[in-house]
Amino acid sequence: MWWCGNILHGSPWRIPFPVLLVDSAAINAQVHHCVSSHLLQTRTVLILVYGRYDRGFSITEEKINLRIEQADTIPVYVRECKGARIEKYLAADYDAIHIHPVEPVNLPQEITHHLEISFPPIVIPSAAKKKFYVTFPVEIGVFFEIRGEMNILDIFSLVPTKFSLYGLPGTGIITRWHRSGIFGDIPVTDMHREGVLELTLINNSATTAEVSRAVLDSYGMQMFYGDRVGMTATMEIISPLIASTTFAALPPRGCPHRSIDLYAARKFAIGPRKSFFMESGMA
Amino acid sequence: MIPLPQVLPNTTIVISHLSDETNVIGTSSPREIVLLFASLAIAYLLGLAIAHYLKLKLSHRLKPDQLHLMNRVIMAILFLVAFAITIPALLDLSYTLILLVSFGIIAIIGISSQKVISNMVGGLALVYEHPFASGDFISTGNVSGTVVSTRLFSVLVRTTSGVSVQIPNDQIYSSDVSNYYANVARRYEYVVGIRYKDDVKKAIGIISGLLEDYTFVLKNPAPDVFVNDIDPDSVRVMFRIWFPSVWAKTKDDISFQTEILPRVKAALEAAGIEIPYAHREILFADPHPALPGFRAGQK
Repeated sequence: MWWCGNILHGSPWRIPFPVLLVDSAAINAQVHHCVSSHLLQTRTVLILVYGRYDRGFSITEEKINLRIEQADTIPVYVRECKGARIEKYLAADYDAIHIHPVEPVNLPQEITHHLEISFPPIVIPSAAKKKFYVTFPVEIGVFFEIRGEMNILDIFSLVPTKFSLYGLPGTGIITRWHRSGIFGDIPVTDMHREGVLELTLINNSATTAEVSRAVLDSYGMQMFYGDRVGMTATMEIISPLIASTTFAALPPRGCPHRSIDLYAARKFAIGPRKSFFMESGMA
Repeated sequence: MIPLPQVLPNTTIVISHLSDETNVIGTSSPREIVLLFASLAIAYLLGLAIAHYLKLKLSHRLKPDQLHLMNRVIMAILFLVAFAITIPALLDLSYTLILLVSFGIIAIIGISSQKVISNMVGGLALVYEHPFASGDFISTGNVSGTVVSTRLFSVLVRTTSGVSVQIPNDQIYSSDVSNYYANVARRYEYVVGIRYKDDVKKAIGIISGLLEDYTFVLKNPAPDVFVNDIDPDSVRVMFRIWFPSVWAKTKDDISFQTEILPRVKAALEAAGIEIPYAHREILFADPHPALPGFRAGQK
């Protein structure tokens, strides 16, 4: 298991070191799509580092390999994963490659833009405010940069995907579903599989509320990375059945670098949404 | 020969009045005729330009038929404006006369083409009630397929075998229409039979585990796996699962059959649970029945 990547020093996404050593026993590992399960049985795991890389980059981690090849002077992006090979020819002369965590709602196909995090029930009294941490799944985006403009090249994930229905079939929404624990402090996670959401719960309703899930709109997500992948959000309980979730632009502790917004890279004609109203309950 | 004014004095008066009102025919000059065609050409080119702009800006946000309808409406408005500017000046017509002629034409068309009007009204009702949109999978009458476009007189549907079917609007509006894409999630049901001697709880556990691991089986509503029936040949285990409609788009989506059912069969067989074939056990009252033409005991 090894890693090779050329990091451009002085770039806004410069990483001080290319390889992190992490004790895999501390990682809340899950069965994943791309990397074989015996990878997680090793004691030490080399993990990829997010950031900016020059044109001839190559990354290998046991069963997954990302690189740029040249085919008749045309650059070709190659991802090899568990015997499957994906190739994409680049028709433009790019300046650099970026690997960033992106909003986890793209795989295996774009069915939804909402993320639902399910966690053990929390009972919060009226007028109370409490901050805690939950995990969320991570998808990895590969971008190519042309004159400062980011263009999406590939998205992949090392965690399995599960969908759910929030609300009724007629009026509800499909969500990307993720099960998390509740943590009082930042949990240790594998940053290529799970990120940490700093969720502040505010009960502005007149009664005690029980909360066991948060539904978040990916169009408002603001992801950061560094020691881990992180986001900050607030969940305001308006009534026993209605809450609003809002992302904050504040980088969480240990995550100083801002990720590229996928909807911005795709040039969607939409701006970031401020809040999502959970109108089908919180438990 | 008697002169015409003496024979038909009233008619002559009427004709002379009409000839005085030369504005019925108009006194249009070549300049006004050129202006009419120029304004129509400008309206047409402007409509094309607006349609191109809207396609660039909105094609990823609107469905093709919605964009098409919007372009048609814009084009119609531009043409009406062009006519309204040029026609009265060209023909020296009063608006009252234009309205009377328009009503007359509409009445004639309405009487002579009731079916067409019926389809048009049906189309307007479909646009207003919006029971489906382009891209939805619908089933009506003997036709099942994906809606390609909703037009003024008909709905174009592409069946799963690639055949385009044009259904008149009044027919589709007056019959039952099932839209498999209207809700965000849809439920599927399947049944697997196992032998009497197999462990039912174990089979349910295996199937539940497989459904849990499958990406497109929704977490909520959770899959139901239960014994549905005990028939003469097998214990029938039913599973009900919910899928995102956007993924399970067609009425008879084969993804389920090709991806989940083979896994269920393989997992059950790997656990020693078999899917039985139909069998009958026949019991005879006399263990050695005499065949016709033979005496008992004779071989």
